[in-house]
Amino acid sequence: MVTLLINAIKRLQVSTLLPIRTYVSVNPQSIPLDNSLVVTKKEWKFPPAYTKPREVWIENLDTLEEKKLGLFELHPSVYATTPRIDIIHRNVVWQRKYRWVSWAHTKTRAEVRGGGKKPWPQKGLGRARHGSIRSPLFRGGGVAHGPRSGKTHFFMLPFHLRIQGLTSTLSTKLAQDDLHIVKDLELPSDEPDFLLDLIESRNWGPSVLIVDDSDLAPRNITAAADAIAHVNIMPVYGLNVYSMLKHDTLILTLSAAAKIEERILQHLHSITTDKEASFKLNQV
Amino acid sequence: MSAGVRHNVSFETNNIVLIALVAIRSIRYSKWRRCCVHGARLRGFLLEKINFLTSQYSSFAKSPFVDKITEQYNYEITKNPTEWKFVERLMPFKTIPQVVPKESYPSGWIPPKEEARKLPYFIPRTKNYAIPIYLQLSFKGNRKITQLKKIEGDIWLMNDDIKHLLKTKHKRYVETRVHEVARFIEIKGDYVNDMKEWAFSKGF
Repeated sequence: MVTLLINAIKRLQVSTLLPIRTYVSVNPQSIPLDNSLVVTKKEWKFPPAYTKPREVWIENLDTLEEKKLGLFELHPSVYATTPRIDIIHRNVVWQRKYRWVSWAHTKTRAEVRGGGKKPWPQKGLGRARHGSIRSPLFRGGGVAHGPRSGKTHFFMLPFHLRIQGLTSTLSTKLAQDDLHIVKDLELPSDEPDFLLDLIESRNWGPSVLIVDDSDLAPRNITAAADAIAHVNIMPVYGLNVYSMLKHDTLILTLSAAAKIEERILQHLHSITTDKEASFKLNQV
Repeated sequence: MSAGVRHNVSFETNNIVLIALVAIRSIRYSKWRRCCVHGARLRGFLLEKINFLTSQYSSFAKSPFVDKITEQYNYEITKNPTEWKFVERLMPFKTIPQVVPKESYPSGWIPPKEEARKLPYFIPRTKNYAIPIYLQLSFKGNRKITQLKKIEGDIWLMNDDIKHLLKTKHKRYVETRVHEVARFIEIKGDYVNDMKEWAFSKGF
């Protein structure tokens, strides 16, 4: 009995070295204590009227441990709007549909082989009248109103729903602490393990979408992200609702965040009649 | 018309027409017409020419008036000259321009006030500086719904204030509907002018 108790107590011994893992991505130790932080205040052409600008940390990627390099302001019309999940959903449905071509195919009664001859005389047999054994009523006959292949599901979502989809998703990501701003994309090595460790240590979730202002990302991060299927790099013009939702965390560079903000603010404050016009196939 | 090639009515063709017209005019009112057989013949020739020139074409671009001119003007490309601001003046605005503050606005437009930003709720102006309060008509105009859109802040407090205001003003219960996610309030009935008046008095 005593030995049982002793064994139980031995098993209860908990290693005191286990780190307590917090599920907040801001690590208080990463904030420098001296007043060396650079707080960037922005002068917008269209300053927010009521909602306050959102302040976000500028983080680094060049070391494994997190360093806060400064604070950055984001415009609330882009990064702090009401998260309209209905509009986000419409964007996702649109993005799935516009590229979807359905190849399901059935044969009509004309395409099924045979059936040219009248199976039995019209009258005198006491049987139902039929003109072909490939009629849709027959087993092995053609299909009436079945799917025909090469059906496109392309359509264009209205322009402002696309804009609102982007702002809603960016706002949701920021509110859920899934949007991080980094200074640049310079990594010390091109090892995928380094990038994986970095993502692990910062609680950035398994899948990460990195968005940069330019088409050409630095070599190290390109090589590292290329080897990991769930870490992807994208230029600003490729940013879309579907990819943002598909990845757990969205990493924007400073310039990318500013560019997205500038472009969306311009659309929100300009005449968009030409963009609201119905989509023409030859316009691209 | 292919892109990149400039088309224009050639100067020569224009001149030919002009000369021909002048010629006909002078032949008609001169002795030439009566005394000279050649005059009539010349006139007929010129008229024929003009008929040819003024005949109908499938499009203006395909008519012989239009010639391809590779280079019409001599120009040189300069960058950042002082004249550029005059070119910029002609270009359309990229964004809707800011409102220029004035003493009064003859159009009746009311500017938003600064103190409205301290209220617990807020209605921002649209991109065209209008107040987003609209009348929604449906069922052939039988159902009138006043809609206040783009509400920021405490939407439920705003709803209470609106209800109280309309009840005291019209001495009857007014039905409203609050959409918290899409940030709008709908009021059953046409209260657009009341709501606009209220919004401007608040400074929105």
